Amino acid sequence: MEYLVPGEGMSLAEKLNILSGAAKHDVACTSSGVDRRGSDRPWGGRGQSRRNAPDGYGTSAAKPMGNCVPAGICHSFSGDGRCISLLKILMTNECIFDCKYCMNRCSNDIPRATFTPEEICTLTTEFYRRNYIEGLFLSSGIIKDPTFTMELLCRTIYLLRVKYRFNGYIHVKAIPGADAEVIRQAGFYADRMSVNLELPTAEGLHTLAPNKHRRTILTPMRHIQNGIEANRNELALYRHAPRFVTGGQSTQMIIGATGETDYQILNVSESLYQKFALKRVFYSAFVRVNDDKCLPVLPGGPPLLREHRLYQADWLLRFYGFKAQELLDEKRPFFNVMLDPKEDWAVRHLEEFPIEINRAPYEKLLRIPGVGVNSARRIVAARRSCQLTFADLKKIGVVLKRAVYFITCGGRMMVPVRLNEDYIVRGLTEKKERTMFGSDGMTYRQMSLFDDGIFQKEVTAGDRLQAAAGQL
Amino acid sequence: MYLYRCQDSLENIFTAVYRVYEDRRSREEVMLSLDDEPVLFAREILVQTDENRCRKVIRTLRSRFGGEGYYDLCLALASPDPAKAQAVYGTVASGLKRGCTGRHLFDDLADGDVNTAFRLARNAHRENCHLRGFTRFEESDQGVMYARIGPKNNLLPFLMPHFADRFPGEDFILYDDVRKLFGVHPANLPWYLVWEENLLSQQFKRSASEFDYQMLFKEFCKSISIEARQNAELQRGMLPLRFREYMTEFQ
Repeated sequence: MEYLVPGEGMSLAEKLNILSGAAKHDVACTSSGVDRRGSDRPWGGRGQSRRNAPDGYGTSAAKPMGNCVPAGICHSFSGDGRCISLLKILMTNECIFDCKYCMNRCSNDIPRATFTPEEICTLTTEFYRRNYIEGLFLSSGIIKDPTFTMELLCRTIYLLRVKYRFNGYIHVKAIPGADAEVIRQAGFYADRMSVNLELPTAEGLHTLAPNKHRRTILTPMRHIQNGIEANRNELALYRHAPRFVTGGQSTQMIIGATGETDYQILNVSESLYQKFALKRVFYSAFVRVNDDKCLPVLPGGPPLLREHRLYQADWLLRFYGFKAQELLDEKRPFFNVMLDPKEDWAVRHLEEFPIEINRAPYEKLLRIPGVGVNSARRIVAARRSCQLTFADLKKIGVVLKRAVYFITCGGRMMVPVRLNEDYIVRGLTEKKERTMFGSDGMTYRQMSLFDDGIFQKEVTAGDRLQAAAGQL
Repeated sequence: MYLYRCQDSLENIFTAVYRVYEDRRSREEVMLSLDDEPVLFAREILVQTDENRCRKVIRTLRSRFGGEGYYDLCLALASPDPAKAQAVYGTVASGLKRGCTGRHLFDDLADGDVNTAFRLARNAHRENCHLRGFTRFEESDQGVMYARIGPKNNLLPFLMPHFADRFPGEDFILYDDVRKLFGVHPANLPWYLVWEENLLSQQFKRSASEFDYQMLFKEFCKSISIEARQNAELQRGMLPLRFREYMTEFQ
């Protein structure tokens, strides 16, 4: 496949610097959802499937390598506290699109580079051997047209699987607007695929990403979903059928670039989980990388708290049996800044509380603030053999600080609590306010006699002399 | 009260568990201890490791609690906490008495021993998960991969199977800096553990390309981070400082 390689004379280090920097705003960097042992070699390495490999790669001298753990593995954490699990890079940061929020848009004058497929394969395998990474996350700017770009991505991961015998994790982006067949091909070599939704509503997409359309984004998402379902049926019939996107698909949305409410965003996520069977929806707080008049100015930095609340609500949707309508509604379209979504729900539904720990069904336990999936399971298991007390709950891992307002053990509350919204909100937020004050150097403290700062200074020889002479 | 004095090894503690049942003592009158702190009014019994008894215990644990339950007990025994012997014995005794299966071994968390064993196993499991990611290999000039770790729990026996499965075609050595223990994996052969000082004495020479890849990875870690989101505190929470001594990107 011939194509123009920008930055021909660039060293690998420079390219990696540019292309990993260009990929850093992609948030979907997890390595979870696939359980594959080193001895399973669906793309060849030992046994029959190697014979099928064309191009003579079946006889490649590369050592087969890699496995996948269902929970995923974090290999490092970068300065922003996010996990580094995969080698997150773009194939190229050349792009014909002009999305306003993106640093790689064609109207930006930035250094451009392109990896060759071989370079990506070498980097991935060499990093993987040293246990730096769990696999490859491959995305790309769009060169020529979407189908051509997707072909390049597909070619790269094909090389990595078949020639380099790499069995680790591969996450590849499906390029919106690419031909369905190329995306399908890529799916047989990737563990997870994702199509970025970019913005929660079609209007937002229209203003900020004029070259992208809701339809071109949702079509490949539907294709992948159908492919996964069809493959599941195939595998039930033929155990050795090639596997298609075993780790499921994910997507991501930018939060705070356009004026959507949390309620709208959460509804979009909910319908994505229900209608497209996504594994994850990622939220990315908008970072203003381009100066554009269409983009909002955020003096307080990226809306990180908002992103955090959305993730909390996302977990409530997926694991706690909540519905988007329960958490927010048209009248209250934004999350509470002070309380997390579950606390917020609980104080608005005090008629459901207090819940008796030793009796309540699992689904009810999950609704108590301070009780997570793990603690709820442990409670259900432990109460079979004994009557649980508050001390036991603490041992089990329940956050009593939060749960204490909402539970009874053996019909009693831990401390006398009034089931009153104001009272509970004050109790829940009191501690937090104090920590928030502490973080910027200002604290609430009891005043004391030694508070004027003089006692924190070093004692000098002169001071000692003065003290001895009684001149303090 | 009978006090079984054990040594800090899985085999010895399992032998002690066997001895307790052999002597037909109930859980209430028995204590397993790893230190030599005297206990008032207790009769002391010194436990000698016995391979046969240990094997029998392992067989029973496997068949009663399944591979999963047995694995968790082993994780608890990898902990440096001296309370582990009593905790594991208590868990086994309560599990056998209840006739539970593997998934329910740690159900009774209100029981002190079960709770301690559960905590220790969870702690070791978490460190194991961390080290699967945070271990860094370096390539020597002879193509052997070498990594150094300093875990709190004795995790080498748990890490070796993971890496052996991941890199079947590589010769690699994993060195536990705290316990001076080597895990050796020759390419395409089973792995084994070695207590050997001499392995260290040979000079370790890095291969020609090793430095380049280390630099590439360091650069990658820098360029992947978003300046507007800098959060060193979060980074420290996720990746505690004690691991960084052994990690390439923090050198």
